[in-house]
Amino acid sequence: MNESDHTSIFRVDGNKKTGIEILRSGNRARCRFFGAWLISFERKEGINRDWQAFVRKNQSVESYNFEFGDELRWDSSLIVFLARVSKDFLREGKSVETERLPQGARRLLDLNRISSDSISSSPDRNEVEGFSQGLMGVLDFIAFFGEWLSSLVMAISGKSSMRMRDLLEAAKSCGASALPIVTLISFLTGLTMAFVGSVQLEKFNAKIYIADLVSLAMVREMGALMVGIIMSGRTGAAFAAEIGNMKLNEEIDSLRTFGISPMEFLVLPRTLALFLMAPLLTVYADVVGILGGLTVGTQVMDFSSLHYFEQTQSALSSIWEVFSGLLKSLLFGLVIGMVGCYKGLSTGRDSAALGKSVTSAVVMSVTLIVVCDAAFEIIFSYLDLR
Amino acid sequence: MNDCVKAIDVSNLSLGYGSSLVLKGVTFSVKEGDCLVIMGGSGCGKRTLLKSLIGLLTPRSGSILLEDRNLWESSIKKRKEILKSFGVLFQGGALWSSMDLVENISLPLREYTNLRNREIRELARYKLSLVGLSGYENYFPSELSGGMKKRAGLARAMALDPSILFFDEPSAGLDPITSRKLDELISELKQSLGMTFVVVTHELASIFAIADDAIFLDADTQTLLDQGKPAYLVENSMHDRIRQFLKRGLLSN
Repeated sequence: MNESDHTSIFRVDGNKKTGIEILRSGNRARCRFFGAWLISFERKEGINRDWQAFVRKNQSVESYNFEFGDELRWDSSLIVFLARVSKDFLREGKSVETERLPQGARRLLDLNRISSDSISSSPDRNEVEGFSQGLMGVLDFIAFFGEWLSSLVMAISGKSSMRMRDLLEAAKSCGASALPIVTLISFLTGLTMAFVGSVQLEKFNAKIYIADLVSLAMVREMGALMVGIIMSGRTGAAFAAEIGNMKLNEEIDSLRTFGISPMEFLVLPRTLALFLMAPLLTVYADVVGILGGLTVGTQVMDFSSLHYFEQTQSALSSIWEVFSGLLKSLLFGLVIGMVGCYKGLSTGRDSAALGKSVTSAVVMSVTLIVVCDAAFEIIFSYLDLR
Repeated sequence: MNDCVKAIDVSNLSLGYGSSLVLKGVTFSVKEGDCLVIMGGSGCGKRTLLKSLIGLLTPRSGSILLEDRNLWESSIKKRKEILKSFGVLFQGGALWSSMDLVENISLPLREYTNLRNREIRELARYKLSLVGLSGYENYFPSELSGGMKKRAGLARAMALDPSILFFDEPSAGLDPITSRKLDELISELKQSLGMTFVVVTHELASIFAIADDAIFLDADTQTLLDQGKPAYLVENSMHDRIRQFLKRGLLSN
């Protein structure tokens, strides 16, 4: 068993050989690395297989001595290889000699050895059960609403740190700036309803009732609903993103350290602005929607404008029709503002969490709007308000 | 002087944002395997210079050569090749928050190499162990402390074994012991891997500990005032401002 032999394990990349040259004599082996052991060298896996085959075949070898060839180019992928190999050898009780390695490589190997002793652990992310998490969310939201009410009282009694300028700024950005999109959406809603309705009404030869249909539907239902949905996507998401980003930047914390309540300073102006702007936008949407119906009525059905308006007027003879829509829109505005701000304030600590809270702000406010709308209709019909 | 290889060669560089000029006529070079510190008071354009060195800010004029290649005058393919040759440690670590540490380090490896999954994970784990973060492979950045984030950022910057590493204020927000450990890690890596380091900092202790060479930027003249080893500059610089900058720290030490 004392004979010596010479093995070479290598792969060719381009026209260069990369691998290990092994000189075995008795139970000692000298391994010399040559070529380019770089991350970009893709055929290391093959060398690794051959190497393991060699080690299995030569179980009698007890001591491995590593050295680098003169022309060797190497980076951390070789260190990783050496670290893995020597760990295996040490476990099997074989000895590994690294004295002949350059100092830099030896140091990197040692650095790795020291730190790999530290315990491997995984963070404990205990998954809170869905139900209790949901319940906590509801309780949190109720607490948020309570705090909002108390800061509203403070604001009304003039003791709040809310700045009037913030309120006006928020009102402008969620009210006036939303006019173009509200115009487009509600005009098209009125137009579409008129087209769809006209086909049905024509069957009964009651085409002029298209004015009743469009005006009642817009005023009672669609105006508030459309404004609500636009506001959720536009303003609710913006609130959540803005406040959430402030939380990530620790701006909220810095407000708190100055004794300024984020509720009064950030949430109140935004929610109040939306609360006040939503009915105004709804009135506007109602008018534009009716004009959309009028366009179909005059251009497609050949009614005169005057005729159409008179019919609209008689349909809207009770002012309650308009008020019921506005009442809804007040609540919608409140819901959107509250949900947006709540989601922003309760966002997590990283940017992925911010994305999630913006998404859930929009989803939650749209859902709540539709639910509230249905609730309103049910209550109205039981109270004989229709 | 001519026989040493220049890792970075900047000549007559001017930088600015929009209509405002921040730096002009900046010329310096960094020898391979050296650690250059970019220092200067707040608002002197340290970060701006770093941003243009790493390819985030287009220079107004002048040239930047990284290992004799110009990042700003290269084709997209060539540019990727150059980008691969350096790593950047951002101030807060800038780890991607939706990925755990192993994934953070694996991403550049996946992008630039055709290694197998197992090899990539092994390399990533090794890089983490180099910066003393073994066992934190599956942590998300939000679950780490500031110092750990920074070290993880360093591991990611080293993912592709770059020949140049850029550091943006490595010691900002770290306690003195942690920041000294980071300095030691930098020296360790410099000696073992022979990397070139460019460090933006105004932490005096760090400057004296790690710098082989330093440049001083000045906000008033909007240019580079002096270049040299900090220990030499502190006594022999022609500029009062530099001696003052470096001495204040010595007095308070």
